[in-house]
Amino acid sequence: MADLRTSGPTEATDPPGPVAGARDSRFARVLIITGAAILAVIAVAALCAPLLSSWGETEIDPAATLTAPGGGHLLGTDGNGMDIWSRVLYAARLDLGIAVAAVALAVTVGTLLGLVAGYRGGWLDDVLMRVVDIFQAFPTFILALAVAALLGNGTVNLIITIAAVNAPAYARLVRAEVRTLRELPFVDAAVTSGASTTGILWRHLLPNSLTPVRVIAPLNCGWAMLTLAGLSFLGLGVSIPAAEWGAMISLGAADVVGGRWWTSVPPGLALLVCVLGFSLLGEGLQERADAKRR
Amino acid sequence: MLSIENLSVAIRRPGREVAALSDVTLAVRPGEVVGLVGESGGGKSMVARAVVGLLPGGSHATGRVVFDDADVLRMDESALSAHRGRGVAICFQNPRGALSPTRTVGRQLVDRLVTHQDMSAERAREAARELFESVGIRSPQRRLDAYPHELSGGMAQRVMISLATGCAPGLLIADEPTTGLDVTLTREILRQFRHAADTDGRAVLLISHDLASIAQVCDRVVVLYAGTVVESGPAAQVLRQPAHPYTRALLRSVPDLGGRPVVATPGAMPLLTRAPLACPFAARCAHADDTCATRRPPTEPLAGGPDGWSLACFHPRTGPLDAGPGDAPPGSGGPVGSVGTVGSAVVAAAAPVSEAADPAPRGAGPAVLEIDDAHVVYRSRFSSGGHHALRGVSLRLAPGETLGVVGESGCGKSTLAKLIMGLVPPTSGTVTVAGHRAAPGRGRPSGRAARRLRTRAQLVFQDPIGSLSPRRTVGDSIAEPLRAAGLPAAERDARVAAVLDRMELDRAILRRYPHELSGGQAQRIGIARALVGEPDLIVFDEPTSALDVTVQAQILDLIADVAADAERAAVFISHDLATVRGFADRVVVLYLGRVVEEGPVDVVFDHPLHPYTRALLASAPRLGGTPPADAAPVELVKDLEEADAATGCPLAARCPFVTDTCRTQPQQLQSHGASQAACWRIPELPALIGKQATTP
Repeated sequence: MADLRTSGPTEATDPPGPVAGARDSRFARVLIITGAAILAVIAVAALCAPLLSSWGETEIDPAATLTAPGGGHLLGTDGNGMDIWSRVLYAARLDLGIAVAAVALAVTVGTLLGLVAGYRGGWLDDVLMRVVDIFQAFPTFILALAVAALLGNGTVNLIITIAAVNAPAYARLVRAEVRTLRELPFVDAAVTSGASTTGILWRHLLPNSLTPVRVIAPLNCGWAMLTLAGLSFLGLGVSIPAAEWGAMISLGAADVVGGRWWTSVPPGLALLVCVLGFSLLGEGLQERADAKRR
Repeated sequence: MLSIENLSVAIRRPGREVAALSDVTLAVRPGEVVGLVGESGGGKSMVARAVVGLLPGGSHATGRVVFDDADVLRMDESALSAHRGRGVAICFQNPRGALSPTRTVGRQLVDRLVTHQDMSAERAREAARELFESVGIRSPQRRLDAYPHELSGGMAQRVMISLATGCAPGLLIADEPTTGLDVTLTREILRQFRHAADTDGRAVLLISHDLASIAQVCDRVVVLYAGTVVESGPAAQVLRQPAHPYTRALLRSVPDLGGRPVVATPGAMPLLTRAPLACPFAARCAHADDTCATRRPPTEPLAGGPDGWSLACFHPRTGPLDAGPGDAPPGSGGPVGSVGTVGSAVVAAAAPVSEAADPAPRGAGPAVLEIDDAHVVYRSRFSSGGHHALRGVSLRLAPGETLGVVGESGCGKSTLAKLIMGLVPPTSGTVTVAGHRAAPGRGRPSGRAARRLRTRAQLVFQDPIGSLSPRRTVGDSIAEPLRAAGLPAAERDARVAAVLDRMELDRAILRRYPHELSGGQAQRIGIARALVGEPDLIVFDEPTSALDVTVQAQILDLIADVAADAERAAVFISHDLATVRGFADRVVVLYLGRVVEEGPVDVVFDHPLHPYTRALLASAPRLGGTPPADAAPVELVKDLEEADAATGCPLAARCPFVTDTCRTQPQQLQSHGASQAACWRIPELPALIGKQATTP
């Protein structure tokens, strides 16, 4: 093993070569536009669900249970006789809504905690960060179980659960950012200008510490959506008959074994495309931030 | 050795085209040190990059860069690699950034010797030790095992020089090798380059923005402006009697220890998109006429000048620089000085200072600033002990007075600024600013009243862009003190507008963000922000050290104007003694957290008492003039970073005149004539220095 690192690079004096900044930012733009377009299509489809399908979210067609795609039901029906196509569309409302709301809550809470902990430092920093540690120590689903047991099932509680899982990361991110920023001269300049602590936090540290948050948040929406689907799959999330992709996959799982793939595959694909959209958007923002830094 | 002929470099990128160099011709011979000077954006680094074959992407070079009979521009990769390894070596501005952080410096040097010189590892280590010794590194054996972060800036630059000279290159290029180093170190590092030329017959190309400091070690200098060579010639003559108006403007922008007035040249260097068809300096030149604006002056030998002195100008100047505004021949378009008089440009020189000295006699009336035996200790979080940044400093400043604070890095200058501003509390002692007292034990004051009181003092920062909040507009930043004071929006706007006018800035700048500003603009904004609340005291913490020379002169102009406000006191902190001389009434010399000398500015500069002050003055570059007889040079025996904190005099470890008393007993400030100094040996010093000078 040791002979693998006998000689390293010696050209310590070479400055970094030419960088393809222009190419990178063009690539970033493609990623951002693609991701945003995917999400926009899904959001519009979700809002226009009543126009795009003739069946309601929980409407049961007594004449058709587990019918294959085609005919009166574009993507077939599930075991209860509900139209898969319209349920996939309606589910997007709940999935997007919960994911975005949960991340928004996580960003707000995490950023506030990070700001205060990073700027004040000392014992307050220690206490806040240990609380964050505790939250991060729990596996997602155990935490969700605990919250569900404590607060009961429901959309709001789901949002709180997913936010609680994600907030610690933002708290750490913003805290690290603030600890760097507060040593910079512009913070001293604000202090000597007579700005109050809240003024410094709100007007100077907050806007400057949000750069990494802006990059992480879209990616995080994708993860949040997967968490939500996972919780629903386990029966901890949205309860039937409300349409939700994870719950639909779970409901159809038994039928897939019997060869009726249409019960689970469409919601699974919808989930995949949606998460992909968030990932592309997040990656694009990341690339753009990197290109700017050079 | 190196001969650059008609080198032009154009950089083409989508949406951006820059003529970085246009028709540059210069030569460096073995054993010769050539200085390449000019402001940033002038193309200095581009020349260096062309010589080592490292032009940035998208650049298109024409002309020839001939090194040892081969054209670098036409070398293939393997030839370039050999050229870089054995032919040319380059030292960068930021030595610590150019050293690999995870490997010891000895390892990096040994690797290089093994690769390029085909040495065995043991032989290379021995050679590395000798190299370290030759660049003045003490205890080289120990330093070989150091990582770059363990080295100070000066030590790291020495390591870079040893890396560069290690492979015995014929040509050594140093790109701003002393930027960020203290004056005493700068001289020491520059000497290493002179040494390399003299003893090993290397050719050295020394790149710097600061003509005055490098000229002392250069044989010849080449002045670049906007990618063109405007003047080149023997260093001593060009420095004393520059013939090109730009070189003159450059030199006049540099504050001089002798108290020669600083003359600011308005405007800034243009960024050319194509090779210039006219004189690139014409727009800023007082002598420019129609010819200058329509034709590009050819490079011609200076009539009557010494060999090798040439310049590109239709209207060369003659005569020494120090003659003042009236130096130009009559009828030739007015003196250079008139360029700067747009907007009260002539900075108060020695004479106006003595007039303005002590408008309110010291000790009379309430002091704006009073520091009494202040200590500041930065405690480390995890261990006892800490860094003792200030060790008993006492100061008093009356309204209208301007105090200069000088010293090298680590002497406590910035801590003093923070202490005055209330950004750090004193560990012991008291600080009183405009009647508001800060004492130990209290952190940053809180509460509305305390905050408002503290705005009676304002700070202008060293890093102009970094001191502006990146996501706030300029208008927002300037108005911050007024908003904190609770002024209504309409009044805020009026006062911001007034202060903008004083800073000679356009209203349109209010909507811009800091990253869209040039350094000079950002510093004007910084001064505007400090001024807008009408404070009683303004502290300038190295306000011009991050700026280009001609911009620096413009900012110094504004600062002199602000400092002259009768009701306001100012503290001007600088590592550069000459800047302070321009407009300070009194000066304080700090060394390792102690005041070692204090007195009226002219007295301290012309009749320094303390050995440290003498050493500082001796190290500072002088333009032409000879130091006053009283200021016979003192050479310190070690670098600052090697001096350990002593129980006695802080300078004891470096002072050539040290005695046992100095080592054990701290000396207090004692009056000697008009100024005060803390040194046991002041009465004997003149004789001692004389002896030192005669026995080399």
